[in-house]
Amino acid sequence: MASPSQPAIELRGITHTFGGSFTALKEAGLEATAGSFVSVVGPSGCGKSTLLNIAAGLLSPSQGEVRVFGQRLEGINRRAAYMFQQDALLPWKTVRENVALGLVFRGKEMPVALREADGWLTRVGLDGFGNSFPYQLSGGMRKRAAMAQCWITAPDIVLMDEPFAALDVHTRMRMQQEVLELWGNAGQTVLFITHELEEAIALADVVAVLSAGPESRIIAEHRVDLERPRNLVDIRLDPRYQELYRKIWGDLREEVLKSFAGR
Amino acid sequence: MPGGNWIRVWQLAVGVAALGAWEGGVRAGLLDQFFFSRPSDIGARLGEWLRSGSIWAHLGTTLAEAALAFLIGVALGVAMGFALARMPRLAAVLDPYIRIANALPRVVLAPIFLLWFGLGIWSKVALGVTVVFFIVFFNTWQGVREVDPVLVNNARMLGASERQLTRHVLLPSALSWIFSSLHISIGFAMIAVVVGEYLGASRGVGYLIAQAEGVFDTTGVFAGMAVLAAVVLAVGAGVNRLELWLLRWKPRVPDSTYQ
Repeated sequence: MASPSQPAIELRGITHTFGGSFTALKEAGLEATAGSFVSVVGPSGCGKSTLLNIAAGLLSPSQGEVRVFGQRLEGINRRAAYMFQQDALLPWKTVRENVALGLVFRGKEMPVALREADGWLTRVGLDGFGNSFPYQLSGGMRKRAAMAQCWITAPDIVLMDEPFAALDVHTRMRMQQEVLELWGNAGQTVLFITHELEEAIALADVVAVLSAGPESRIIAEHRVDLERPRNLVDIRLDPRYQELYRKIWGDLREEVLKSFAGR
Repeated sequence: MPGGNWIRVWQLAVGVAALGAWEGGVRAGLLDQFFFSRPSDIGARLGEWLRSGSIWAHLGTTLAEAALAFLIGVALGVAMGFALARMPRLAAVLDPYIRIANALPRVVLAPIFLLWFGLGIWSKVALGVTVVFFIVFFNTWQGVREVDPVLVNNARMLGASERQLTRHVLLPSALSWIFSSLHISIGFAMIAVVVGEYLGASRGVGYLIAQAEGVFDTTGVFAGMAVLAAVVLAVGAGVNRLELWLLRWKPRVPDSTYQ
């Protein structure tokens, strides 16, 4: 593990242009200290996913650089796991095979990987569903499986791209609580993308605000000093939460209005 | 489905009515027996072939040719489909040639293959391969290109190498496309090898039909056709079962009456 003050991931002066004409990000900079939970909020279409894909190494930025624990990132970010907004479980593999995938890709024997996957299924509450195929699970259960699939590889960094956007409000809250528990136990650095400010504040240590696109950049960072462990069911009633909400919404509001005007 | 039996009964009724009308038409003198034969004669001929066992050598030859054509065509088609889907530049260069090759009516190749590969099974296999290859190739190509990019990115983030990506993501994803092409290509493989036999062979069901035609034996022609239809249906049913097993991860769509 890295020293506590070292950034786990640093995005420096990231500019990204698609197809030579559309500049999604311009001079965006962000850093996440090791073990912290950072949310990035921004209006839709502001390049949040682009930023995350660059942090993952799935995209290489037109300009700027990504540093992972001080090392310049080339290619796929091997120290990170990525949880996608869409379903990313392989539909032709059973749930336990899916969860074991990261270990199998790293060269573990199948039986060993599957045994480890079973342990993770228990942890995320999917006991007894290991031999089901993804289509047989509910949306919430598929997200649990996706969480296990990410965390089983013991990543140092977890990148999450609006992972619960498709879920209903109550399921989403349960998932958020489970993410906090997984994170609290393992202490990874989390970069969490969302367009919902409630979710961003409730989960994070730091909320970064991305400006409306095109040419988005990080315009503000707010420290969320609500104590942990947090109870997400009641956190919205906490006066300090509401105060933070008003403050950050002040920044975000402008950008959301701009994004309305832009289309 | 409450109508299941009802449908079976009607299916049977349609078959009986069609054969009955045929038989009756010939017996009543409305259809000329010389040109149309009779279901009863055809049935008797099939029985004769089965009893004497003379059909097996021919059927075996045709099946062996079709199976070889099918296997070689599928292997080449899948390999090439994969290669071109993974190498878009190569695909762009080869594109016009693939179109030209596919635009050729395959039947005209039969005499050429006969010259190249002789009267034995390989001229038929070659003809079958040219037919099967393109069907499988295009479907595989399409299948690999249509892979959900999220699945690919997820696998890459989980640490998949190119080979693991192909094995765990691309191939299974293309499989449903490949299977939809297998159903068609089995039928086409049979057609191609029978056409090949028809044009020049010393064995096979196509040869049998050609022989029967040569002496205006319509009963023999129809009996040969019946054998071919039965074999294609049986093989198709086999592929269906294999498909059900290999694609068991797919949500079942409600059964259609055609399955």
